[in-house]
Amino acid sequence: MAWSRKSAMFASLSIAMYLLGLVLRNQQLVTVAVVLLSFLTWAALRTTHGDVASTGRRMEDASLDAGIQLQNIVAMRKTSSARVFEDGEIDVTVRLQNRSNMAKVLELRDRVPEVMRIKKGANYVLMEIGPQRETEISYTIEAPLRGFYTIGPVCIRVQDEFGLFHNEREIQLYDDFLVFPKMEDIKDAMIKSRVPKIFTGAVNIRNPGEGSNFYNLREYLPGDPMKKINWNATARQDGKMMVNEFERDAVSDVIIIVDSRGVSETGPVSRNSLVFSTRAAASLTQYFLSRRDSVGLVVYGDEIVSVDRDTGKKQLYIILTKLAGAMAKGNTPLKIVTNRIMPHIHRGSPIIILSPLEDDPTIVDAVRDLRARNFEVTVLSPSSLEFEFDARRIDRTGYEVLKTERDILITELRGLGAYVMDWEPDMLLFTALAGARGF
Amino acid sequence: MVEENSGKGPVDTSNLYEGKVVRSSAPSRKKAAGTLKRDTEIPDDAVPKVTVPGWIDTIFGGPVVAKRDFLPPDRMVVSLQVRSSAALLIVCFLTFMLTPVSGTAWFVVSNFIGIGTLGVAIHLGLILVGLVGGFYGVFQRDQRAMLVSYIALILVTIRFAGSKVEFGLSFLPESEVAQKLLLILYAIFLVMYIEISSGIIRFSMLDTSVRTGEVYVMNINKISSRYSKAMGVTPVVAGFVAMLTLFINLIIPAFVSLFDTVAANRLRESVELTSVYGVALGTILVFIIIASMFAVNLPLRIQQYLERQS
Repeated sequence: MAWSRKSAMFASLSIAMYLLGLVLRNQQLVTVAVVLLSFLTWAALRTTHGDVASTGRRMEDASLDAGIQLQNIVAMRKTSSARVFEDGEIDVTVRLQNRSNMAKVLELRDRVPEVMRIKKGANYVLMEIGPQRETEISYTIEAPLRGFYTIGPVCIRVQDEFGLFHNEREIQLYDDFLVFPKMEDIKDAMIKSRVPKIFTGAVNIRNPGEGSNFYNLREYLPGDPMKKINWNATARQDGKMMVNEFERDAVSDVIIIVDSRGVSETGPVSRNSLVFSTRAAASLTQYFLSRRDSVGLVVYGDEIVSVDRDTGKKQLYIILTKLAGAMAKGNTPLKIVTNRIMPHIHRGSPIIILSPLEDDPTIVDAVRDLRARNFEVTVLSPSSLEFEFDARRIDRTGYEVLKTERDILITELRGLGAYVMDWEPDMLLFTALAGARGF
Repeated sequence: MVEENSGKGPVDTSNLYEGKVVRSSAPSRKKAAGTLKRDTEIPDDAVPKVTVPGWIDTIFGGPVVAKRDFLPPDRMVVSLQVRSSAALLIVCFLTFMLTPVSGTAWFVVSNFIGIGTLGVAIHLGLILVGLVGGFYGVFQRDQRAMLVSYIALILVTIRFAGSKVEFGLSFLPESEVAQKLLLILYAIFLVMYIEISSGIIRFSMLDTSVRTGEVYVMNINKISSRYSKAMGVTPVVAGFVAMLTLFINLIIPAFVSLFDTVAANRLRESVELTSVYGVALGTILVFIIIASMFAVNLPLRIQQYLERQS
C-alpha cells in the first residue's frame, strides 16, 4: 500500500496537531488530530480491502491453463497487427476480467511507447467493474516512427475514494510490434546497371539485347525478326535493310548503403537524416524488387549490418526489418564499409549511398575507389543542416559556413563521377533521384 | 565487426581515371538557402525558457501546489463546490463559537502592548481569511487559496487552553458531554471541508482529463456515487473513533466499575483522566486496537471472507 502526498500531509498534520495539543493542553487541537487520524486509518483499512492480485495472459492463450493466475484480476490483450508502416495504426483491445465476487473500482493504464500517439479511445481508464464481470477497452495507436516497440505492461491501481492510499500491480503482459519505414512510390529511379546477368529483368543495362528501350540502328542480319526492321531507316539507306536494336533488360544487383552513424540522427526526432535515409532505402528496395532486381542492403553505424542480394517479397520484408531496427550509433567510416563489400559486388552494379556526408573524412576516398572500379555511385544526402536550420537550432551564419563546406564536398564527389544530390527536407525521393542525374 | 583501416593512408587511385569521363556541376543551393531570412537575430524559441523559482519553491524544492488550468466544472464538481462551501460556512461558524481569543499568541501580544481589541481583530481576521480564502479557492479552484484557508483555520485554534474546554461564546453548553460532542462536530466539519475542497481539485483534474480524451471513465455515476457514499460513512466512523478517545474518562471507569466500584469512582474524579492527557490515553488505547487489527492483517482476511461469502 502506497501513501499519496495528500495522505502524508494529513498524517504529518495530525501528528503535529496532536503533539501541539498535548503541549498546549488544547483538547480542540487533539480532537481535530484524532478525527484526522481516524479518517486516515479508515481509508487505509478500505484500501487494504481492495488489494489487487492479478495476472496476465494473451487473448489467444485464454483457453489454455498456462500463465500464472494470481487471484482476481486477469488482463488479456489483442492487437490488430504486429507489423505496420510508419503513420500506420494499430487497434489494441484489452479485456479485463474481475473473477472475484466483489465489485472493484480500478484505474487501468496500458503502457504504450512514448512516441506513439493515441488516435482513438484511451489507454488510461477509470472504471467500476462488477463481480464476475469482464470489460473491454479499445484504443487505436498511430506509429509515427519506425522501430521495434512493445505495448505493456498493464498497470492496475486501486485506491480509496479519497485518494489517500493506493495499491498498484503491473500485469506482465507484453505485445511486440514492428514499424517499417514509410515508402514512397517511385516512377523511375533512373539507375541503370552496366553489367548483364544471365536472366533478363526489367533494368536496362546499356548493352544491346532483348529489351524495350531503343539502343541503336544496325544492318539487318539473317535471322533477325521482321518486326525489328525499321522501314523508315531502310528507306533512308537506299534499300539497305536496317533493324532497331534495343537495350538489353536484365536483372541487376543494386546495393543500398545506409549511413546510421550517430551523426545521422542530427535534427528533430521525426525529421533527420536517418529517418529520410531509411524511408528512401525502403522505397528504393520496393521499386527495384518490383522490377525483379536483386537488392542488397548495408547499414553501418557502430557495426556493419548487411543483407545479401536477393529478390522477391521475402527480401523486401527482410530489408524492411533491418531498416526498422537501424539505430543511430557509432562512427564507422564509409571506406571500411566499401572495402568490405567491394569484393562481393559485381563491377558496374549501381550503388546507392544514403548518408548525410558528415563527420567522415573517408567519404571522398571511398567514392573514388568505387568509381575507379566502375561502380555507378549515386549519393542521396539528406542534409542535417537543413533539418537543424528548419528547427532553428543553428543560426544563419553557422548555417552558411557549414553549407559552403558541404557544397564543396558535394562538388568534389560530383567531380569523381558520382551522382550526388543534396536532398532537402521537403523534396520527394523521385525528385531527388532525378536531381542526382542532373534533371 | 568493424574492420580496422589498414593505416597506410589514402591510396592514390588517380591513374584509374585516365581516359574516363568525369562529370561535375555547380554546388547546389536549393530553396532552403533561398528562403533564408536576412536578419541575424536569434529566434525566440531557440532559447529555452528559464523559470526562476520563488523563495517558497526553493525551500520546498518545488512549488507547494501547482497552478492548474481546468475546463469549466461539470455537475459533480459543482455539487462538490456547494458541499464544500456549506462545510466551510459551518466550520467558520463553529470556529467562531468554540475558539476563544484567550490563550492565543496574538492575545498575549495585544495585551502586552495594551491594545486588547487588536487580539480580537487578529482572531476574527484569521477566521475571515479562512472563510474568504476558502470560498475563493473553492469556486476558483485555486489550491493556493485553499491552502491559505486551511492554515488560517488551523492557526486560529492554536492556543494554550490549560486542559479546560473553553468556548468563545458564553451561551454554549456547560456539560462535559455536550462540549466534547461540539468539539467532535467541529473537528469532523473541518476535516470534511479539507477533504471536499481537495476533492474539487481531484475531480476537476479527472473531468479535464476525461474531456481532453486522456482518460476514459466507465460507469462514472457509480464512481461518483461511491465517493458520495464514502463522504457519508467516513465522518460517522471518524466521529465514532473520536468519541471513543474523548470519552475515555467515562469508558474506563464504566469498565472498571464491573469489578470495583470504589476504584471506578476514583477514576471518574481523576483530574488527569478528564484532562487532555486522558484523551491522549484514550487515543493510545484506541489506536493500539487498530494497530493490532493491521498487525494480524485483519482487513485482508475480512476481504477474503467477504469474497467467499458473496
